[in-house]
Amino acid sequence: MLHQMELVNGKVTRNDQSIGNVHVYVNPDEQERRYLIDTLKIDEHTLTSALDPDELARLESEPEHVAIIYKRPRNYSSEEEFVFRVASTGLFLFADKLVIVADDMPLFQGKAFAKITSLQELVLRNIYSSIFHFVEHLKVINAVSESLEDQIAASMQNKYLLNLFGLEKSLVYYLNAINTNAKLIERLKHSALKIGFSAENLEFIEDMLIENSQCYEQAEIYSNILTSMMDARVSIVNNNLNWLMKTLTTITIAIMLPTFVVSLFSMNVAIPGENNPLMFWIIIVLASLSVLAVRLVWWWKQW
Amino acid sequence: MVSGDAYQEDEVPGQVKGGDMARRSETRKVTVAHAPGLHARPCLAIVNTVRRFQSEVTICNGDKVANAAEILEIMSLGVPQGTEVTLHAKGPDALEAIDTLEKLFVDNFGFES
Repeated sequence: MLHQMELVNGKVTRNDQSIGNVHVYVNPDEQERRYLIDTLKIDEHTLTSALDPDELARLESEPEHVAIIYKRPRNYSSEEEFVFRVASTGLFLFADKLVIVADDMPLFQGKAFAKITSLQELVLRNIYSSIFHFVEHLKVINAVSESLEDQIAASMQNKYLLNLFGLEKSLVYYLNAINTNAKLIERLKHSALKIGFSAENLEFIEDMLIENSQCYEQAEIYSNILTSMMDARVSIVNNNLNWLMKTLTTITIAIMLPTFVVSLFSMNVAIPGENNPLMFWIIIVLASLSVLAVRLVWWWKQW
Repeated sequence: MVSGDAYQEDEVPGQVKGGDMARRSETRKVTVAHAPGLHARPCLAIVNTVRRFQSEVTICNGDKVANAAEILEIMSLGVPQGTEVTLHAKGPDALEAIDTLEKLFVDNFGFES
């Protein structure tokens, strides 16, 4: 689906009435794909890569445009069970327009898109917003991981551990995506003349490199913490289960001994004291004493 | 997260029961206007906001109820754009908590200037 946008007065605004200079294709259909390939001469493989979440970030120069594929976090969906995935977005920069191909609509909102002076800057702001998006998602992953830890402390199920494994997997996706974005930003810096970046744009690229590097380090730290603590968390779940088994065993033994005493006196043979009118209460006392004996042995052995 | 009634029906929103400030309760309906709905980052913004208050805050989407201070629960609600959710707060600062939370929803969680 095509959304016509326009870069006016430093802001990207929607303009479906006329042909703007920013064309956003969200999940382009076959007809739109043919237009992009045949008319705008976008390489078919590069176009497919722009929508492939497994594709690496890269920069390619074509005769009439520059193709940039960058990685960004995919918006979280509740069906994902705490697995955060990444997506790819393609930016095709022509002399007079920017074509964006993505699997969902970029927002172009917030401080990052407040004052855009050129299409080149819009390209950089898009990549920058993905770095910011990664940082924000890392904060969410950290918060989710803390919440899961609280749940694990009292849990005997694998559910929360599996969620933590999902977070670990997400961080691996993120590390890979942030790393590949870093290579892309480096290439943008080296291709500045060809793309037409201004001195301000180059300064911004330097800032992006630093931000991206900090983002990578943060993701790496979170990933290391999650990985190194996983064994301890598995042990906690095992330990919780052991405690439950111990409690159940205690209850079983505590019931078993008085049951044994009562069943001894329930045999259909001559039983000592069977004619004694107080025998019922004597058996109850014996059964109670057996419970007390179990408790004393338990206490003495410090089980 | 639990399913069932969003809040106890015997509580009167905005009123103090039995002169006990700790039982003040507030309820408000808000619509999620943010394009991607209640995804990861808005959920964190909600948790960070709610944790500043003493009141217990819940968010209800249909029959699903989530504790607004627990990111796991809010993220499991799966609220898309355009959905009307019910915010309910109970505690000494319920009104402030609901006002702040409503503003957060109206401001699209601070993602759009």
